[in-house]
Amino acid sequence: MFAIETKGLSKKFGDKTAVNQLNLQIKEGELFSLLGVNGAGKTTTIRILSGLSKPSDGDAFVYGNSVIHKLAEVKRLINLSPQETAIAGNLSVTENLLLMAEIYGLEKEKARAKVKEVIEEFSLEEVADTKASTLSGGWQRRLSIAMALITQPKVLYLDEPTLGLDVLARRELWKIILGLKGKITIILTTHYMEESEALSDRIAIMQKGEMKALGTLEELKSRTGKTNLEEVFVAIAEG
Amino acid sequence: MWQLQKDRERMMRIRVFAMRNMKEISRDSLSYIFCFGFPIIMLLIMSVVNASIPKEANMVLFQIQNIGPGIAVFSLCFTMLFTCLSISKDRANAFLVRLYASPMKGVDFISGYTLPLLIIAIIQCSITFLASGVIGLFTDYTFHFGNVLLAMVILLPSMILFIGFGLFFGTMFSEKAAPGLCSIIISVAGMLGGIWMDVDALGGVLAQVCKTMPFYYGVKSAKLAVNGDYAGLGKPLVIVCIYAAIVYLLAVLAFRKKMQEDLK
Repeated sequence: MFAIETKGLSKKFGDKTAVNQLNLQIKEGELFSLLGVNGAGKTTTIRILSGLSKPSDGDAFVYGNSVIHKLAEVKRLINLSPQETAIAGNLSVTENLLLMAEIYGLEKEKARAKVKEVIEEFSLEEVADTKASTLSGGWQRRLSIAMALITQPKVLYLDEPTLGLDVLARRELWKIILGLKGKITIILTTHYMEESEALSDRIAIMQKGEMKALGTLEELKSRTGKTNLEEVFVAIAEG
Repeated sequence: MWQLQKDRERMMRIRVFAMRNMKEISRDSLSYIFCFGFPIIMLLIMSVVNASIPKEANMVLFQIQNIGPGIAVFSLCFTMLFTCLSISKDRANAFLVRLYASPMKGVDFISGYTLPLLIIAIIQCSITFLASGVIGLFTDYTFHFGNVLLAMVILLPSMILFIGFGLFFGTMFSEKAAPGLCSIIISVAGMLGGIWMDVDALGGVLAQVCKTMPFYYGVKSAKLAVNGDYAGLGKPLVIVCIYAAIVYLLAVLAFRKKMQEDLK
């Protein structure tokens, strides 16, 4: 069984087609990138996969559970870190993590133990009691991902996780994402080529809602005869 | 058994989310200024105004037993403002998007926003009556404890009314537009609620306009309760209850509709 499978997945907003007949199969433990420019349909795809948007046509399955018919089951298996940091600003890092753990049904004691574990895993010790709104962008992103992971999802969606971060903060976050590789299935959307290149097992290039290419970095390079992902992307995007 | 487990989980989600909202509000210093400082300052100002009237005039402009309940209702405007800010901020920074992907349902959100504000509103009214009681000691008026308790109960529909307005504006409008719209309600409640003047003694068009507003009935029922005039309580209380039910219901429907639109 695939961790994620989409069959003819489409989404229309009025006359505009945001996602068109997307067919994907993502294996358990894979780090899969959806690469594309703004408006390519990456975020819409993530929104459908996480139950935040209903498909206009087709269906998507998370471990065999349809996002249309078995959304409650899907919600127990997934979590996401949205494009915006989406944290509770006046709460401390620890309180933010505790909040998410308890909302997902963890009893107080178990939630506290899990928070401690996640704080160590994400090296958040030095900011554990700091108010989230006062953290730098890099720390806020790190917290955002930790908030998604504390619920122990089998699938994690990272929507533009390093958007707006400086080079050092971005590299720090890459380390964390690479540390998760193989442990859970990760779907990452990005428009940074080097990010996709550094992190992904497989890459899907999206343009105007359609998947233009899919494969490992090496497969995409050999298909286009290019030496790096940026050139691959341009070659595919320009048809 | 399965239903019992589901209900337990729901109660836990509501409690956790309500606690979060309470912490968010209580850690904002503006909450203390507006929710608790404001009523005390207004009561003090009115007392100073009273004290400034020469004794020869032989008149009292603001009687503490009337201005106290009036300010208790007016202060609830700020509960509306904080409800509205809580929701509109959560929408703006996508915190709600994160929670939409969680097992939280519409009723969990609505209850989680309402409960902490209801507690704040109760504390706010208690402080207002406590401060009124202290001022009363200096103006030879003693509040009847039972009547104050009754007034607190009678203020519950007004609390729901203002939280409903906040819920509605925070749901329907952006973080920038929603507080502006709340300020319209604050102005209308302040001018036409009968807080600073005796609307019944005014008569004319102004009194008729005031009587179309829920604020007038909220203030009037609280004043009657404080003054022990139980016979006249029924009508204003029923009217403010109807207004509160309608506004809160509209707010709930608006939240549910907006949530459905966000998840389209």
